Parts: sequence; structure tokens; C-alpha cells
Amino acid sequence: MSGRIVITSTGIVSALGVGTSANQKALKDKKAGLRHPAILQTKHADEFIVGEVLHSNEELASMLNLPSAAAYTRTTLLALIAMQELMNEENQALLKDTKLALVNANTVGGMCSVEDYYLEFISDKEEGDFVQYIDTLDCAESTMHLSQHFNLKPLKATISTACSSSANAIILGARLIQAGLADKAVCGGCDALSRFTLNGFHSLKNVDKDPCRPFDKDRFGLNLGEGAGYVLLEKEEDAIARGANVLAVLSGYSNTNDAYHPTAPSPDGDGAFNTMQQALKKAKLQPEQIDYVNAHGTATLNNDAAEGKAIERLFSNANISFSSTKPYTGHTLAAAGVIEAIFSIWSLQNGVAYPNLNYNTPMEEISLQPNTEFVEKEINHCLSNSFGFGGNNVSLVFSKA
Amino acid sequence: MTKPIYISSASAISPQQTYEDEGLLNEIVSTDNGELYIKEPNFRKYINPVAIRRMSRLLKMGICAGMNALEQAGVEKPDGIITGTGRGSMTDTERFLLDMIELDEGALTPTSFIQSTYNSINGWLALQTKSNGYNQTYVNRGSSFELAVLDAQLLLNEGDEQQHVLAGCFDEITPDYVRVKSKIGYWKKPTVNNLELYKNSDTNGSIAGEGAAFFCLTNKPENTICSIEQLHIIQEDSIEDVSTVLQQTLAGINLNDIDIVLSGMSGDVRFQPFYDTFLSNLSDKTSVAAFKHLCGEYDTSTGFATWLATELFKQQSLPEVLAAKQGNSGSVNNILIVNHYTLNSASVILLKKN
Repeated sequence: MSGRIVITSTGIVSALGVGTSANQKALKDKKAGLRHPAILQTKHADEFIVGEVLHSNEELASMLNLPSAAAYTRTTLLALIAMQELMNEENQALLKDTKLALVNANTVGGMCSVEDYYLEFISDKEEGDFVQYIDTLDCAESTMHLSQHFNLKPLKATISTACSSSANAIILGARLIQAGLADKAVCGGCDALSRFTLNGFHSLKNVDKDPCRPFDKDRFGLNLGEGAGYVLLEKEEDAIARGANVLAVLSGYSNTNDAYHPTAPSPDGDGAFNTMQQALKKAKLQPEQIDYVNAHGTATLNNDAAEGKAIERLFSNANISFSSTKPYTGHTLAAAGVIEAIFSIWSLQNGVAYPNLNYNTPMEEISLQPNTEFVEKEINHCLSNSFGFGGNNVSLVFSKA
Repeated sequence: MTKPIYISSASAISPQQTYEDEGLLNEIVSTDNGELYIKEPNFRKYINPVAIRRMSRLLKMGICAGMNALEQAGVEKPDGIITGTGRGSMTDTERFLLDMIELDEGALTPTSFIQSTYNSINGWLALQTKSNGYNQTYVNRGSSFELAVLDAQLLLNEGDEQQHVLAGCFDEITPDYVRVKSKIGYWKKPTVNNLELYKNSDTNGSIAGEGAAFFCLTNKPENTICSIEQLHIIQEDSIEDVSTVLQQTLAGINLNDIDIVLSGMSGDVRFQPFYDTFLSNLSDKTSVAAFKHLCGEYDTSTGFATWLATELFKQQSLPEVLAAKQGNSGSVNNILIVNHYTLNSASVILLKKN
């Protein structure tokens, strides 16, 4: 890449907590955020565990100094919470007068509110609290609030490619900067738990009642999660010129499609292999140079078989550490790509590969095993995978600044 | 800066006869009920009989418009597939949501959940064309189609070799969607006949519409219809700010070169002052046309307008049904699409005939 793109700020909220230090501490303490839902109102609350952010909408609103949570969806509130961490005083001043792109990602918009009010939506009633939620189903609703709440005037784009959405947001931000259409880009994604998605994945019979076990022979499926994350991208030279603390370099990326099946990955992992290989090519790196792979690792039967095979094939000669952090956070869908990108950046900074929690029995399909404990070592290059429905695959490569 | 990109083919499924149809808009569909649903083509031409049984209408619309654009351009396997949609499949979203509510989170079938995913049409198009390349879906209200075109522009500018990108948009209405949005003033009350839409601009709102439009885009001018010279995406926090920025944007364009302005006049009284001012200042040369009286108002109506522009370039004249004002330019070389959308966005697209 001409003129390297770097990450200079991040903001995060997940089931591990609000903000960087809470998330880092939970990761370090191997303290997973999965429990039975307390805030999501669902008939399946006793049946499933989820990665829920343990704050009510009203609590989130007060953390944002909003008068109330009314008219805000939980999706938007989570987005604002993550963004608030990124928008420290320095960035507020910086981003106000810059050619900015805001690339957000989302899978079901404000469905978490819409599903509560839908019968009123379609009733004969013309007035009521429900009216203020009618337009919140749109994925762009949270994007609009992000720019308005923080007084920004960016080019706004909202991406929805299922579970790879926010990884795609990071790619678009980098490309907009490279093309000169933006000087800085805030990229990320948000998703709140909803009955719609929980029942949707349940209808696909791939939600685990127990904590998920990525890459384990006895895995059953995923646990859903919620959260949001944003990263600030800019050119390395600009970051250095303004004396910014460069957290990592986005050294490579790839967006490809499986073209295999509407929801299932190609069973031999050809799609995942292709995506990872393209990302390495873009980063001009050999597989041996990757120190840690933060896998998509949803713990569904299909994903882990395909991704596991692809990782084994690509990194067969490398002493690779790989793990999925989804047993910590649950699968946060559109937020997963950016949350795991941020985890990967911390991995570079702290020289640590995360453990793949809940792993016991090796899969039959592959001989490679994820690391089950922290691996402390120099991590110079880290690859993060996000694969979605529709065959939408993304790999990102982060390198030490 | 980004170089122009070229449109080599265009396909639209719309409320009018626009799909695989000889002659432009020979018969015009008109309605008094304020809802313009697409004319259904034979979807089976591009979708296999097993797959089509479970597919909802937006998927069929998107896949057929996309495959038809590829066929017209003679491109079997595009290098990228990029789409924009404001709402995705409302039919599937509503169906899964209502089933879930009515069955109290009981046993649900996954089909409509899967199809409600915004990128499902992209997935199908990749699958049908075995395209492993770049694949992206924008869901950003009134800028969704424009963002897809912007991304295609980036992608086609990133390489030197000739590349072909399939870019398009799709949106649908449903009876429930129309009813729900009527509660927040999307539609004119009372409604008007669609053919009278842009002449009736004294109330808020418009009429509901839908459609799918796809384009093969490339970075080389040979065998193409027109170039996309300029693309401006305007997103502000209020109608007034949108109008102001739109005026500033248009001030930077040489309007004397424009043969036809395709204006997004929607009959909404809040936007009409902008159009009135802008359109009345055009020279006698420039024709003024409307398009929303044919396709209705929806997030990605500029996809329909872009398709219309490619047809006008081919035909080299402006049919009466489109014209608000016939200019005296004898040919159609430059078309400017100017659109103002309900949710505080606007766009300007400048197309130049090859």
C-alpha cells in the first residue's frame, strides 16, 4: 500500500464491559461475558446464554448524558457508548474540521426496539410512543446519531454484509483515505441483541445452550452477543505529523466471496483460504510472518470446519497461534469484525495471543489446535477473520507500528 | 483524484415496462392509490426452478436485474458485486417478525430470516456467476445506491487492467410498509394519480414506489453507453442544509452543457422550492424531466433515474411523459440527475454519453 494506513484511536463496548480497560481486564482474567439474558426480554432467556452488555438502555443513556433513552434504540446507544471512548477531547477537536468518513456497520438496525412496537406499527393507531421508532429499523439510523451526537459532518456510509460488516467498514475507510476522498475515517459497527436475531439463528439450529466451543470436536453452535466498536484510521504520515500515538498499521485486507451457498461456507475452506491469502498478498507478508490469527471461530459446525481447514492449509509450515475470542464476547454480528480487530491490535501491543476458551477435544478434520492458554511472545503481525452469510468473507492484517 | 467510470449496460425492473422491453416507456402505468408496485417479469429466465420456489420477490427482482445487466454487457463473471438498498427485503423482515410475535418465539422456519439479510442478493449473484471477487452491500437510506456507485468508482480506479463491476440497487414496498410509513408522513394525503405527481406539490410526502436497477460498470470507455463523470453524495441534518449544500454543489457544475436534468421532484412541498429555483434558472437548451411519477419515491430511486438516463442516451430524445420542459438542445450528450430524498439526503450524478 502506498502511504500506510494506521489506527490511532479505538472505542469499544462488549459483554466484557464498557471501554478499553474493562475489556482488557476481562480478557486477561479469562472472564467470559456469557450469561442468561437479563436485559433482552425473550421467552428463551432460561434456555440460552448470550454476551449481553450489562447496562439497561436508561443506564447507557445516562452514561451519554442524554436526558432519556426515549427514541433511541439499544443499537444506537451501544454505538454512541463505543464512539464516546474514541471521541476524547483531542479527537473531538481533530475530527470536527477534517475531511472525515464515518463508516458504520449493522445487521438489523433498531430491530431491538422495532420488535417491541411492531404490532402498534401495523395497528390502526396513529399516535403513541411507537411513532418515534418507525424509522429506526434502518441500518443508517445509528450512523446518523453517531454524526449528530458528536457534531461531525462526515461522509456517512453504512455497510451490511452480515457477520463481516464492520471488518468491511474498516476496509472502506482505508480505501476512501487512499483515494483522497477522506483524510480520516472512523470505522466500525454496532449490533444489539434482539429476539429477531436470537430466534433467527435458533431457527437455523446453530445456537448453543452452553458456552460455545470454537474448533472443538464437540462444538454445537454459537452464542449471540452485542456490542460496538470504532477505530480511527488515517495516513501514517499524518498521524506522525500530529504526534499521534500510532496503535497499529492496517497492513493488509481482503474482501472476497465464497460463491458457494447462501449461508454455508465452502466445506473445504476454499473461500476462507482465498480471503486470508489475498490479505497476506496485500500486506506483502508470508504466512510464516503472521504470529497470531484471531479466527472468526463462531463454533458453528460449518464455519469452524471450513475455517480450521483453511488455517491449517495456509499456515501448515508456520508455528501459528490461533484462537477465537467469541467464547468471551459471544458473536456480536456486525460488531464482531471491529471488536476482534481491536483485540488484535491489543495483541500486537501487549505481545499476547488470547486463549480459545472452552476447548477440549481436537476436531477430526484438522490436526492444528488453537491455543488454549495465553501465548506470550513478540507479535508483529496479526490476522483477523470475519466471515458472513452470503459468502461475504473478510480478512484484515494488523502490524506493529 | 478518481477517474470517470463507464456504464456498459443497464437493467431495470420498475413499475413501468422497463425490463427487456423494446422501446422506451411505450405504455405508461398509472394509478390513483399512491402505491407503485413493479411489473413482474418472467423471473424464471435467470433463476432455477428449485431455488425460485422459496425466494421472495425482492430477491427475484435483484437477481434478475443483475443477471440481465450482465447478459447485456456480455460479462459472465464480474470482478466485483456492489449493491445498495434502503430497506432490503421488507417481505421477509415482516414475515419473520410477525411469525415470531404470533408464535411467541415458537418454532420458526429460517427462510425469511436468511432472506431478510441485506446482503442475500449479493450472495446469490456471486453464487450464480461464481464470482469470488469483491462483494459489498450498503444500507444507508437515500445514499445507498450512490455509495454503491462510489465504491465501484474506487474499485475501478484501484487497478489499471480492465475490470467489470456489477453495481445496483433494490427496494420494495409492502402493504404494511406503506401503512406504517404513512404514520410519519411519507405519503401524500390525499394521494394523487402518479402521472400528476410532480405537478401537485402543495402537500408533504410523495407516493410509494419500488424497483431494482443494475449496471455493468467498467474502467475503459470502449463499448459503453456513458460515463459517470461526477457523483456527489449530500447528507445533512436538515432539509434546509440539504438544499443549501445541493445548491453549492450545482453551482460547481457547468449547467450550460446539460441537455437534460432528471429531477427527483416528488411532489413534496418541502423540496419543491429548491427544484423551482434551480430548474427555472436553466437555459432554454436544457430539458427538464421528472422520474418519480413513474417509479414512486423510495431510497434507491436514483438507480431507476440512472437506468432512464442510459435509455435517453440511446434514444437521443426525451419522451413527453417525462418532460416537464422540452429544451431546444437537439441531442442528448449530458444528463444531470438531481435528487432530494425524504430523510435528509440528496445526490447529484453527472452522466456523459460516449
